[in-house]
Amino acid sequence: MDYPTIITITKLELDLDALIARVTLPSTGAAAIFSGIVRGKTERGKAHKTSYLEYEAYQPMAEAKMHQVANEIRNRWPLVEGIAIVQRIGRLYPQTPTLMIICTAEHRDTGVFEAARYGIDRLKEIVPIWKKEVSPEGEFWVEGEYIPKSGE
Amino acid sequence: MRIKIFFFATVREYVGAKTVEMEVPMQTTVAMLKKLLVKKYPQMASTQKSIIAAVNSEYSADEFLIPADAEIAFFPPVSGG
Repeated sequence: MDYPTIITITKLELDLDALIARVTLPSTGAAAIFSGIVRGKTERGKAHKTSYLEYEAYQPMAEAKMHQVANEIRNRWPLVEGIAIVQRIGRLYPQTPTLMIICTAEHRDTGVFEAARYGIDRLKEIVPIWKKEVSPEGEFWVEGEYIPKSGE
Repeated sequence: MRIKIFFFATVREYVGAKTVEMEVPMQTTVAMLKKLLVKKYPQMASTQKSIIAAVNSEYSADEFLIPADAEIAFFPPVSGG
């Protein structure tokens, strides 16, 4: 059975309906969706405002690692049907979706929620994409915590 | 042997270039290349956290031997999403 896997890095606006359609099969009855959004106002930790985020990707490696994340999802949740992992890059302003991860399945009790959650957590560990945060107070590169192992 | 190096995010800003091509001896490891680069671009040493290396799009440890014509990237821990 050939299940669709959509991996995209784009500067264009994300279209959720179009993306869901691409991972919906005749047998699909559930889609779990995670979308990241530019937060204009942060309360957690050091409270601050964000003017915009500037995303940059090491595109060939990022696409390869996004495929790896999709494969890891398939190994862990074999009932997942379609997988879409789409990252928007470039300059993105508050309240704009930056990323969409969709996992589809026949039913909701198949691990689709966990699969989508795993997708975003794993993307933030191994997919080489970075964002610079620009605020009224200045700008800084956001850095993750995770150091990937050799060959990971 | 000839290699191509890419820099991203903070590392790119410290180095002041997106990419450089370099001639390095055979049997050069990732650690040796890092040392060479820090000598050439001392600001590289001032990145906040550890610099991650990828050789031909795979995360590679310090002792990894760089093959000829490799594409190597140096960057900080990722922050996509």
